[in-house]
Amino acid sequence: MSEKRIKARVFRLDPSVDRESRHQEYEIPFEEGISAMDVLDYIYQNLDGTLAYYDHAGCALGICARCTCKINGKAGLTCQVPVSGDVTLDPISLSRVQKDLVCETKRKGA
Amino acid sequence: MEARTIETDVLVVGGGGAGFRAAIGARERGAAVALLSKGPLARSGASPMAGADFTLDGKSLSELGFKGEPEDSEEKVFNDIVTQGFFLNNQKLLEQYVRRAPARLKEMIDWGLKVTFSDERAIFTSGLKLMDVLLRRARKVGVNLLEDVMLLDLVQEDGMVTGALALDVRTGEFLQIATKAVVMATGGWHKAFWPNTGMRDLSGEGMIIAHRAGADLGNLEFITHACNVLLEPPIWRGSIATYVIGMLAGHRLTNSHGDAFLDQYDPYTVKVGTSTEWNKSFVSYATTVEVREGRGFPNGGVHFSRGDVPWETYELFCSFVFPKWKYKAIDLTELGRRFEENEPIEVGSVVEYFDGGIIVDDGFATRVPGLYAAGECTLGPFGANRVFSAITEMLVHGADAGEHAAEYALSASVPEPDPGRFAGKRRKAEQPLVPKAGARPAPVRRRVQEMAREKLGPIRSGEELQSFLDEVRRIEREELPGIEATAKGRSYNKEWIDALELGYILELLELAAASALQRTESRGVHFRLDHPDTDNDNWLAESVVRRTEAGYELATRPVCTTSIEPPGGVVPYLDMIKKMMESRSEIGGHH
Repeated sequence: MSEKRIKARVFRLDPSVDRESRHQEYEIPFEEGISAMDVLDYIYQNLDGTLAYYDHAGCALGICARCTCKINGKAGLTCQVPVSGDVTLDPISLSRVQKDLVCETKRKGA
Repeated sequence: MEARTIETDVLVVGGGGAGFRAAIGARERGAAVALLSKGPLARSGASPMAGADFTLDGKSLSELGFKGEPEDSEEKVFNDIVTQGFFLNNQKLLEQYVRRAPARLKEMIDWGLKVTFSDERAIFTSGLKLMDVLLRRARKVGVNLLEDVMLLDLVQEDGMVTGALALDVRTGEFLQIATKAVVMATGGWHKAFWPNTGMRDLSGEGMIIAHRAGADLGNLEFITHACNVLLEPPIWRGSIATYVIGMLAGHRLTNSHGDAFLDQYDPYTVKVGTSTEWNKSFVSYATTVEVREGRGFPNGGVHFSRGDVPWETYELFCSFVFPKWKYKAIDLTELGRRFEENEPIEVGSVVEYFDGGIIVDDGFATRVPGLYAAGECTLGPFGANRVFSAITEMLVHGADAGEHAAEYALSASVPEPDPGRFAGKRRKAEQPLVPKAGARPAPVRRRVQEMAREKLGPIRSGEELQSFLDEVRRIEREELPGIEATAKGRSYNKEWIDALELGYILELLELAAASALQRTESRGVHFRLDHPDTDNDNWLAESVVRRTEAGYELATRPVCTTSIEPPGGVVPYLDMIKKMMESRSEIGGHH
């Protein structure tokens, strides 16, 4: 375990209440070999339960792709992109934000 | 908020292989079918994560044009599964499993399934390929597929299922479903443990909702742990990459004293127990012994390396299993480097499969009229220990459960669900959105998950189970009622979902711990330090949890046998394992 801490800037928007989006900054302990998903899990579990990212289902093993976000500006699966320092997390599409990092997908079936 | 309404003949709950196959089976019988998938279609639950192997008897396999083994037979497979299951198998369900497997494999291939390779008793493909075939077929036959929708409760009239209430997780909108029959296919409850083998959606709601509706649950104490699951670094935690390669290519496990701890066990048991899927019970047991006795590593595991296996051999196997050092989308380049340098990595036993579940008859019906169940959420055919494939189980169960549910739905006289009942259930589901004590669900869940891993792992003791049970009951009584979502919005409110799931997780842990405490013997994947023998005189019985007015009642019922009579006698656990391994037919393969 390292004493190192990192900063995570996370996109926040609840379209039902907010007029504009913002970035919220969190400080979290750093552990060697974490993913961007581990960063979000830490924030959600320990600091802020209002944060939304696709997590209620999904694999965390790079299969389902629902956790796709922009990580430091670059599209990737949050569960498979390693984090080694400060990180900025944005939704994959600003126009499709349902809440924070969760974007609407083209609904199949239904 | 207004609810959407849906009408159907058969509602299938669960978006994994059992659910999809049930939906296809019911639709092909002429019923209107809706399927609820809690997460992404064909990409949630455990099925897409599977390796994946489909097992069947080698004779049928060779007749289908694969490697197989003409000397094999359905009887031999039946015998082997009964001994692998320590004679606790429901033999009626096992007959169904063995007999229906060839037809299920043939149709999957007809529907376009690609097979990677085959051995004497299995074909190997991937969970993704299986799910893609099922999704395509479900669309073709016209199943109404609903994505990111979670079941909240069933609606009944005089005990009979008439409807279901569900939640659209993305919008927070309720779905009121009128249906004549329900097939529960919600898989396991991995989310009650941390770490687990990856999937984030499996919280066992189908089992608890079925139980609250009146269905019996059984054998909940039998929880299979995969061994050699990666515990470090965090980005790989829960991946079974090392489990797979270790079984195929060999490996060496060492404890924190540097000892190759498997060397102390019987060589035959170690050979079979590391090179076949017996590893789930044997290696998980042996690993847990080291960790419990203080010879583990920081993440609760042991060290895995290629040991004496030459690097060239390892590299070759890895090139099949992880082409270009990719397993699914995981980049394993660094793991390759560690294998080459023969540097150890920490692995451990992690929950993978739940042998017990909803009790069904041989038509996959529960005690509740109109309620069926299929796949991992049932008490299936494997008894106390699963070596054969759960992929086969999900497909043979799904097809029959779907067909039986459709036949019932098309002939039974089922009233419309009472709107008043929906209203009450909606209010109940909204409880976490009502301001109260303000405790958030996630920290409580994490605490419970870590405790469950420790107390309900491969090795248990009466004292630990009792204190765990007391603590779970205390949390249910004192903490659960105050759990609340910080934000009250309905759209993708994770804490709302987590609060609802926490109730299911706690109830399953309570029922499983109570069942494990009741079973005063060691059998299959259930080992009791204070009762280390397999007791065939008193415990050839299933644990049964039945709903009562006051809560639940724990009982047992004799195991269902058809052709193999279990032996008597009390046998030390490791001797029993060896005996069961030795009973296997002389047919090759990993099962």
